[in-house]
Amino acid sequence: MSIMSYNGSAMLAMVGRDCVAIASDTQLSANGQMISTDFQRVHMVNNNVMIGMSGLATDVQTLWADFRARTKMYKLREERDISPRAFAHMVSSALYQRRFGPYFIEPVIAGIDPDTKKPYVCSTDIIGCIEKSPNFVVAGTCTENLYGMCETLFRPDMDADDLFETVAQALVNAFDRDAYSGQGAIVHILTPTELITRTIKTRTD
Amino acid sequence: METLISLTGKDYVLTASDMTAARSILVFKVNEDKTRDLSPHITMAFCGESGDTVQFAEFIQKNIRLYAIRNNFELSPKAAANYVRTQLAESLRSRSPYAVNVLIAGFDEHEGPELYWLDYLGTLCKIPFGAHGFASNFVLSTLDNAYLPDMDLEQGIALLKSAIKVVQQRMLISQPNFQIKLVNKDGVSVIDI
Amino acid sequence: MSNANNTPLPAPASYGGFTFENTHRNALLTRMGYDAPNATKTGTTIAGIVFKGGVMLGADTRSTSGSIVADKNCEKIHRISSNIFCCGAGTAADTENVTGMVEAKLRLHELKTGRKARVVNALTLLKQHLFRYQGHVSAALVLGGVDHTGPRLHTVAPHGSTDTLPYVTMGSGSLAAMSIFESRWKPDMSFDEAAQLVGDSIRAGIFHDLGSGSNVDLTAIYLQEDGTVAVKIMRNIDCPNPKPAPVLNYKYPTGTTAVLTKEVKPFSQLAEVTAISRTIFENNEDDDAAPPAASAPVPMDIN
Repeated sequence: MSIMSYNGSAMLAMVGRDCVAIASDTQLSANGQMISTDFQRVHMVNNNVMIGMSGLATDVQTLWADFRARTKMYKLREERDISPRAFAHMVSSALYQRRFGPYFIEPVIAGIDPDTKKPYVCSTDIIGCIEKSPNFVVAGTCTENLYGMCETLFRPDMDADDLFETVAQALVNAFDRDAYSGQGAIVHILTPTELITRTIKTRTD
Repeated sequence: METLISLTGKDYVLTASDMTAARSILVFKVNEDKTRDLSPHITMAFCGESGDTVQFAEFIQKNIRLYAIRNNFELSPKAAANYVRTQLAESLRSRSPYAVNVLIAGFDEHEGPELYWLDYLGTLCKIPFGAHGFASNFVLSTLDNAYLPDMDLEQGIALLKSAIKVVQQRMLISQPNFQIKLVNKDGVSVIDI
Repeated sequence: MSNANNTPLPAPASYGGFTFENTHRNALLTRMGYDAPNATKTGTTIAGIVFKGGVMLGADTRSTSGSIVADKNCEKIHRISSNIFCCGAGTAADTENVTGMVEAKLRLHELKTGRKARVVNALTLLKQHLFRYQGHVSAALVLGGVDHTGPRLHTVAPHGSTDTLPYVTMGSGSLAAMSIFESRWKPDMSFDEAAQLVGDSIRAGIFHDLGSGSNVDLTAIYLQEDGTVAVKIMRNIDCPNPKPAPVLNYKYPTGTTAVLTKEVKPFSQLAEVTAISRTIFENNEDDDAAPPAASAPVPMDIN
């Protein structure tokens, strides 16, 4: 078994018209045993940026503590919030620094650029190679399923409500066929003016 | 081979830890205390590699006590759990990591009863009920089936009893004695059930 | 034995170089039977040729993770300096970072010496870095540029060995691309001939090598008539594999998903407070100014 499936997770980020979304499952399992159905993998960095981390849960927590400290220092020094692009590069360097002893996470980052108000979505691999996408990125234990769902469901210029339905259905139907993820899901929609968080009903096996 | 079970109720947390100390096919004793109190309102039950367990638990216990003495301020259960997590995560990256799994039960005057699940990798999760060890396979389904978030103490004890009964009836390994600890607004106490 | 006196977890990031804090743990997990995952590779076709007065670099745009296409339109031609570019194949993170590092080092070198960097300068930095890591930094590169010695074209293998040739290919599609060069390359080709030839070699990779795909990127670095160096970046010059537009689409109407909880957190409050405090601050310097309007939060644009 891969260490990436030890805790199990599924997540994706998608671009809409003036909005972005991150959706993630909420389960935590260890070695195939369910521990919790309320585990947090998605975090708000600031009002412009969200990050979701799939992979090994302990590394999610270690790295989030690190990223949070770094972005707070950034804000104190620069007197402004970090932009999604700058944050993605910060994550990338933190991961590439451990090129030969990596953290076992694959992050997805979604945000709205504070200057241009343009949506930004990207993901990286475990050693920090940024993949910027004009439409969607996926990560976790069922990336094949998620790619399939997103390739069929994605349409350009979705509004916040459309984006929610698309992202939610893409995630739910992808992890339906994944043994290691599921058990509830959370969807965050970020716009320049607000964050909309919904938990959604899923199957629980 | 060890069992830790814990659940939160309306205004309390209950933990049950088996008291068997054994290695290979030999049982050494059946009155081993596998818990340490980290503060007046926090207790930690632990299992894992024998030797590591007590060493780690007492190291945590004494450092949290030291923090309280230095700052004249007790850590909250959440803070204590995060401290233990950091220690486990750091230990995991050393040459001889602690192989210890713990449950941290605490009562916070603002947050109420809290239960944290932690494994040797340093995965921290706040849960309503949970277990460590082989017995989690039996116990989790028992708890999942009958657990209610607002149970009073009587109901909680009854549920914990039934969970322990499942372990003793169905598991191959003998665990005759369980120590039950109750954490509520009055602090940590050992109770008989 | 580990204890609380260990250094705090997040290692200082400012020293540069690699960190090995996780290696013990990762080795332990591997011993326990948990396999380490794969990084994103660029199963790639990259190529370059020397033509009359310049070099033409080409690359496909597919990056893969196992058998999955991780990125359908990634950029594999990296800028090293204003007159030097580099195509990367291998582990995507390595090519990205190794070229980025050389770009930074060369820029500092240019500022220090006051001269344009030469292509061999980049070549030496790349091969020394790659040789030091004995192939573990797995980047296979095609390096091209024009300096005062003329057009230069090199390849760098992951272990640090280099070649200097008039036409080169790298990556999993290198054989397909090279077959085009071997049959059609000739000295002193024109810009258009070169673009056509490199384009064809990349298309050979795209269509015949499964690790390569999607679009063609070209970058030309060449001497102009007046003796200055020009760069022409032809990103996605050819897109032979467009996704067919769906005739119908699958649209889930609003309300399809069963929502358990919904929480809306508006950000406007923060902008309002900042706006008012700014107005007060500005007015303190001008006693005659009217008191700040308490209502109507100003949209913030403090930059």
